Amino acid sequence: MTERYPGYDVLSKRWSASWNAQTRRVIDARLAVPREPRFFSAAEWRTLNAVCDRIMPQPTDRPAVPLAAYVDQKMAEDLQDGYRYAELPPQGEAWQRGLQALDAEALEAHGDRFDTLAPTVQDALLTLMQQGSMTGAAWAGMPPKLFFAHRILPDITHAYYAHPISWNEIGFGGPASPRGYVRMGLDRRDPWEAVEAKPGDEAAARRKNQNVR
Amino acid sequence: MSRATAVATSGLAVLGAVALVLGERSNTAPQIRSNPIDPGAAVRAARRMNRAAGIIAASVLADSAVEHYRGSFHNKAMVAPLVTSLLSLAVSIHGHTDKRPVAHWVRDTVYAAAALTGLAGTGFHIFNVTKKPGGFSWQNLFYQAPIGAPAALTLSGAMGFLAERVRDTPPGTSPTIAGLPAGPAVALATSLGLMGTVGEAGLLHFRGAYHDPFMYLPVTVPPLAAALIGAAAIGQTHRRRPWTRFWLRATAVLGFAGSGFHAIGIARNMGGWRNWTQNLLNGPPLPAPPSFTGLALVGLAALGLMEDHPDD
Repeated sequence: MTERYPGYDVLSKRWSASWNAQTRRVIDARLAVPREPRFFSAAEWRTLNAVCDRIMPQPTDRPAVPLAAYVDQKMAEDLQDGYRYAELPPQGEAWQRGLQALDAEALEAHGDRFDTLAPTVQDALLTLMQQGSMTGAAWAGMPPKLFFAHRILPDITHAYYAHPISWNEIGFGGPASPRGYVRMGLDRRDPWEAVEAKPGDEAAARRKNQNVR
Repeated sequence: MSRATAVATSGLAVLGAVALVLGERSNTAPQIRSNPIDPGAAVRAARRMNRAAGIIAASVLADSAVEHYRGSFHNKAMVAPLVTSLLSLAVSIHGHTDKRPVAHWVRDTVYAAAALTGLAGTGFHIFNVTKKPGGFSWQNLFYQAPIGAPAALTLSGAMGFLAERVRDTPPGTSPTIAGLPAGPAVALATSLGLMGTVGEAGLLHFRGAYHDPFMYLPVTVPPLAAALIGAAAIGQTHRRRPWTRFWLRATAVLGFAGSGFHAIGIARNMGGWRNWTQNLLNGPPLPAPPSFTGLALVGLAALGLMEDHPDD
């Protein structure tokens, strides 16, 4: 995959005017998220990791964003969205029940745990969930379709874009605090923003991105 | 008002007062004379106006440098005010040191160019506002290129140009501008310039919701000075005008104090002065207020002219 923002590393702002002690604390905490589950059981954790790999497959030539760890953190620390669908139980309970039900569906259909199945088979099961076609008793009345659309998708994608690696990928400047943006017009760039490479102009973009502070 | 605010304000007020005293240093106390005409009076008034034009030019130079850097010099023409205000500042210093009673063609050329650049800039800024979605709306007047800002460059050039006309006075005659007595003409120009600058400050302080009571100062003190110097322009010349002088001096001090207030405003933004690369651009414009000082000094020069040449 060609880089859209070559040479851009949002973490290079760490000691610049863009960040202060509070910014550094927040980012450090985010990078230091525990890689072992605090909320999920070992079985749920394996299933969760397998689901994350299918929902948000990641390149192998760079460290992966710890998606499952962020979902576990959100449940362990009870960081809620502020709203929830009435048909879904509270987020932690929904995740536990959904992962157990998915595993039960895998065992029922394929005789094996979800995380041990081939990616295409996993995708087929997730598609069934997305379509709301799963009817196993383990769902206990929770609609699989809603669980897919309002727990699996947002919790995993939000986790993905909470990490500096994905910020570099999309040229996001990171926390705009204490330094914000001053050039607000369309297509205007502050010197501390990432430069998007135009075809044939990658070298210039790389040079400018290495000066982003 | 916090202690820091009080200290900073009074410090700047003292600075402004010192600047005024220094500005007055070479002058004799204004006296009402009828005859003979003091041959040095015209040059003295012209040099006062050179200094005033220089202060406005310095304010424009710093302000346009910051704001056009913020605009990334998106249009090549955005360097024009930097060049012309720098030149205007240079010839103003030259005019301050020059005691000859004749105009200098380089100063004349630079001042005229600065005035015309300011007019062109006003045109550009108006065009920029009109081409934005919404055209002439409060939103665009607040957040697009400031319409009033280039006028300060015009004022620097125009006041400098008038300074050359005042200076270019044969000994024994009273200075005139286009056949009109110079004192009232300069006084009128000062009054109009102050009004325009008040309009700009009023618009932007309204945008800032007058969140600090001191933000009312530039829409109260300078308008009073503008009214008084305007009245002096159309009134009798052979009168002492201590109140006009007082309010013009207050306006001059306010110009410097305004930068002090703006410095406090920058400090109040997140990260304060440590985050100056953000807040110098994002906060209140540090170099803008001294335009008031420059205009007030022109007004004081006009008062001096009218007192030195009471029979015009």
